[in-house]
Amino acid sequence: MSKLSINRPSMNKQGAQHKQAFDEPLWWGLFSAGGVCFAVILPAVILFIAVLLPLGLLPAEALSYERASALLFSVPGFLFVGAVVCLPLFHAAHRLRHGLFDISVGNDTLNKKLMYGGAALLSILALGIVVAGMLG
Amino acid sequence: MNTEQISTKRVSTNNIRTKQVSVKRYLPDSSAEPYWQQYELPVDDSTSLLDALNHIKEQLDSTLSYRWSCRMAICGSCGVMVNGIPKLGCKTFLRDYEGEIRIEPLSHFPVQRDLVVDMEIFLEHLAAVKPYLIDDNPVKAFDPNAPETYRQSPKQLARYKQFANCINCGLCYSACPQFGLNQEFLGPAALTLAHRYNLDSRDHGKKQRMAELNRHEGVWSCTFVGFCSQVCPKNVDPAAAVNQGKVEAAKHTLIALFKG
Amino acid sequence: MHKSSSQRLPPLKRNWWLKHRFFKLYMLRETTVLPLVFFTLCLLAGMVSLLQGAESWQGWIAFMGSPIVLLLNLLALAASLFHAATFFVLFPRVMPLRIAGRSLPGNVIVAGQWVGVVVVALLFFWLFGRA
Repeated sequence: MSKLSINRPSMNKQGAQHKQAFDEPLWWGLFSAGGVCFAVILPAVILFIAVLLPLGLLPAEALSYERASALLFSVPGFLFVGAVVCLPLFHAAHRLRHGLFDISVGNDTLNKKLMYGGAALLSILALGIVVAGMLG
Repeated sequence: MNTEQISTKRVSTNNIRTKQVSVKRYLPDSSAEPYWQQYELPVDDSTSLLDALNHIKEQLDSTLSYRWSCRMAICGSCGVMVNGIPKLGCKTFLRDYEGEIRIEPLSHFPVQRDLVVDMEIFLEHLAAVKPYLIDDNPVKAFDPNAPETYRQSPKQLARYKQFANCINCGLCYSACPQFGLNQEFLGPAALTLAHRYNLDSRDHGKKQRMAELNRHEGVWSCTFVGFCSQVCPKNVDPAAAVNQGKVEAAKHTLIALFKG
Repeated sequence: MHKSSSQRLPPLKRNWWLKHRFFKLYMLRETTVLPLVFFTLCLLAGMVSLLQGAESWQGWIAFMGSPIVLLLNLLALAASLFHAATFFVLFPRVMPLRIAGRSLPGNVIVAGQWVGVVVVALLFFWLFGRA
């Protein structure tokens, strides 16, 4: 028989018991939006940029330095990065956080900070690059 | 009619065979560790797992303990693991199993004896979400000139009807790894019933329930594994209800933010 | 108030998901984000190289063509499609859509999302596929 854990005294739990998870809707919203982007947009992005482009199967001028810069360093480019980099990063962060809990690695409070924090930092970096390119 | 007569009657219409069923026994009075026990029993095309357990209990081994009552998937008492999957004994037929049939008590609940588990924690989680009408219209004495009862249109009923079919069998808790990983998680059936009452036009208790749902151990522990909906014997789709609960909890949070 | 004396079992062992095909598929669904993260980091590197200049950009394209990177990104492509297949079916269950009081059938919503994938791919073809 599996051993039963001793009940934690209910006194300790009272405080945490009804603690509202006000941050979770935000993470879940970003996860869901990122999941839609990952599913709808990313297949085409990966196919064209990470498969056809390096294999030389795109027309030579399709993603030349000049054209790629013009496309990325623009307002549509900014939105593209938001949908293709930032939101999917938060999607990944959410799944990794819960995945780590699923396989009992680390503790959730720390994992949350690391995962969402990482996604936020990389998102700022990505959007910063676009802004730098637009200014430069 | 006793079991023998029923068996005799069945022989005339069905081909009777013998099958082996392995049952995980746990008898804390005589042995600290659970062990497997094999039973050979006659089965035909209509033998349910509950029939088989009853046959074992009556004919082969009276020490076997298990719960059952209605034998028609309404009472929700006879949940067991069949080859690792939570099932109702009365809704599971041995004809669908080739080879080994392993019967264990429901996962994620403490075992009391053989196939009998302690479902107290499930009942506590259920009670926590207040699964009943709150602040509904008081029922007055019936006045034929001005009948005032619970009024609900078919459209209003349709909003929650699917989620009202839960029989509290607990199969979804045995199917849910998140409940297995953290027993404080309110779990599929409780969250589904919370959603069911939140969707009910007669109910005014949503605010009280949202306080339970919008906790880390409320809807937010769910990762939409979806196995709860696979095993649900009443096709309630608890995974859908829990995740619709996330949408509601998100709305609830937004409203709370703006109202301050 | 509640949560009184009921017994709690210790958490599942970390290999719980190996016991069942359904759970293995769940884990596969969750791990689709690993190749996604790899592709995202590649893309970030490409953006940095684009900021640095034409030579750096050509270098990045060469890097993307190296066999291991290409293989991992093909894996990311497969992962994105598997993710799509698992994600689209959840949508009608999480947000059942109603039009004029009638609930929209789930498979219509799922098909609509696949149409979205095709439309985005066509948009990319229009943008990059022609000389």
